[in-house]
Amino acid sequence: MAMDRRKFFKVAAAGCGTAACAVATPAFASEKAKLVGADGYGMLQDSVRCIGCKACQSACKQVNKLDPDSSLNENYYDSPRELSENTYTLIKMHQDEKGEATFVKKQCMHCIDPACQSACLVGALTKQQNGAVSWDGDKCMGCRYCMVACPYNVPQFQWKEAIPDISKCTLCEETRLKKNLPTGCSSACPAGAISFGKRDELLKIAKERIAAGPELYLDHIYGETEVGGTNVLYLTKKQVAFATIGLPKFGYKAPPRLTEGIQHGVFKYFIPPVAIYAALGGIMAFTNRKNKQEQEGGSDE
Amino acid sequence: MSKAAPLHQKFWTANVWLLVFFMVSAAVFGYFRFVYGFGSVTNLNPSYPMGIWIAFDVACGVALAAGGFTTCLVVEIFGRQKYHALLRPALLTAFIGYMLVAMAVMFDLGRWYYIWHTLVYWNGNSVLFEVAWCVMLYLNVLAIENLPNVIDQYKGRVNLPGPLAAFNNSTDSFLGSAEKILRRVGVFFVIAGVVLSFGHQSSLGTMMLIAPYKLHELWMTAWSPLLFLLSAMSVGLPMVIFEGTLATYFFNRKSELPLLADLARIIPIFLGAFLLLRFSDLIYRGALAEVLSGSRQDNAFLVEIAFFCVPFVLLFVRKVRENGTGLFLCALSIICGVVAYRFNVFLIGMDMGGGWEYFPSVGEFAVTFGFLAFGVFLYKLAVNYLPILEDH
Repeated sequence: MAMDRRKFFKVAAAGCGTAACAVATPAFASEKAKLVGADGYGMLQDSVRCIGCKACQSACKQVNKLDPDSSLNENYYDSPRELSENTYTLIKMHQDEKGEATFVKKQCMHCIDPACQSACLVGALTKQQNGAVSWDGDKCMGCRYCMVACPYNVPQFQWKEAIPDISKCTLCEETRLKKNLPTGCSSACPAGAISFGKRDELLKIAKERIAAGPELYLDHIYGETEVGGTNVLYLTKKQVAFATIGLPKFGYKAPPRLTEGIQHGVFKYFIPPVAIYAALGGIMAFTNRKNKQEQEGGSDE
Repeated sequence: MSKAAPLHQKFWTANVWLLVFFMVSAAVFGYFRFVYGFGSVTNLNPSYPMGIWIAFDVACGVALAAGGFTTCLVVEIFGRQKYHALLRPALLTAFIGYMLVAMAVMFDLGRWYYIWHTLVYWNGNSVLFEVAWCVMLYLNVLAIENLPNVIDQYKGRVNLPGPLAAFNNSTDSFLGSAEKILRRVGVFFVIAGVVLSFGHQSSLGTMMLIAPYKLHELWMTAWSPLLFLLSAMSVGLPMVIFEGTLATYFFNRKSELPLLADLARIIPIFLGAFLLLRFSDLIYRGALAEVLSGSRQDNAFLVEIAFFCVPFVLLFVRKVRENGTGLFLCALSIICGVVAYRFNVFLIGMDMGGGWEYFPSVGEFAVTFGFLAFGVFLYKLAVNYLPILEDH
């Protein structure tokens, strides 16, 4: 591994340069990401129409065979307060100063560029062509990084099981979509507040509703661009901001674009790690030679 | 140069029984965790799915095991051979540290028996995938780097107990050929260990960037991976000093203070680079505007920064470096700083929403202490029967 000094400096400089470039351009890989399922199915949930009857909630429990979640210290009624391993969707109520109630349905947003998919190291969470973000129990190791990654805190963990699952809304992929049926919750809704369909059609419907009732609707479709776009879209009342009904003001960039940009930058064609390896090897050869020369007492430096 | 030798002291001292107590209590809580689920032991909840088993056992564990690769970098790569006596103990503690990290991961995985899925199902987009692979490979590199300890002690005199004696000859020839191979290619593993460490130490800093709306702006920066790497390098040598001082004290050995004090001069280089980048980033992003607001995150940040800044200044003072207590406290402060930094990124700085709070349960603490005790136990076992520590 003999290497003269000039050559060593070249290698070291090149290595540092590549590493610096790789770190400094984290957004580089972002454009190339292939997004599947953006043209898949989704739902449009209309808080102007929703009457808060929770028929969707019970339909979901029926379709997915989920146990009741009781918050009233008895087991007769299903009264979940939050999403849980037994509750894939629930209706939440927001009351303004005048006492007017607005209902919003909480569930997996089925993001186009999901943070959970990017986070999962074994690829147990994947965005499907049909639009659903689905969980594969045969791969999942139960690390719960998806729960940290999800901006909406959707994935849930079975805390009381020795062998726990990650559970969340499946978009009724296995139970209904495969039989050409719409999702359980949308079929159950008596108020027409949950529309099921392809995402682009849902966007069209949403725009029509806003255009037809500008005095009713806020001129914004939540999920059209938030966190890179979601397959579950929301409409809200003109006077009720999305942030007040649990849909925070998130940016338009999908969270994985930052982390994947950094990761793919640092490992671009494996050049940076190999360059660092070479640079360290160069330094090592150089110092070893110097040490040896000093030990022998003769130095030409 | 003097040679490393096993201590051969009395092993089952009162302190060791204390370690065993912690290990047993961890095992009891471990039983409930594996049989009745996380809910029976931990305070984890839907908003805080990762607790101290990740924030401390894994994130801090990896950072505090950085003594191995940092010492390798200084001694082997930058050729500072005068610190050679510190290399073996540093590599040993790194190996033990990473073993504990791997075991802690098993404890924290809901479906622990699927841990091998990392090998088979790949998601190259996942930050955790990179961390898992680098840690796995580095653990193997560390095992190889620690092999000379075993070779030096047992080559030519392998004497396995009972029926295993049949393998005496084959084990001996394995050690012999391992020594020959290592003499030729050992250097490749040395460099590989450093590169792998660069990889996963930095990737741990990328992990929480997947949740930009949860992580507080004091820590939410694209420079986080480089900051994690630099802070790990800053804590590497303090860990060597910390462990060296404790080993001197507990094993009644001659003080290594002159060597450690000399080594401490290198720390401000790493720590200075870290603090420079940390403050440049914070000031550039304007994240320091509300740092005195008194909120939990802001206070946690001030504590973290104080742990780094005070020893950074003090280590320039020769009197502090050459005073055993002063040096030890400086090292301890940097260690606390890195622990605070990791806790801030993984727990305190994460606003997870959903109205949940998290504070570790007794069981979680017990398991963490159990792992620490197991680490110390393994360290004592190794230095007692293998040639790790040198007399000067």
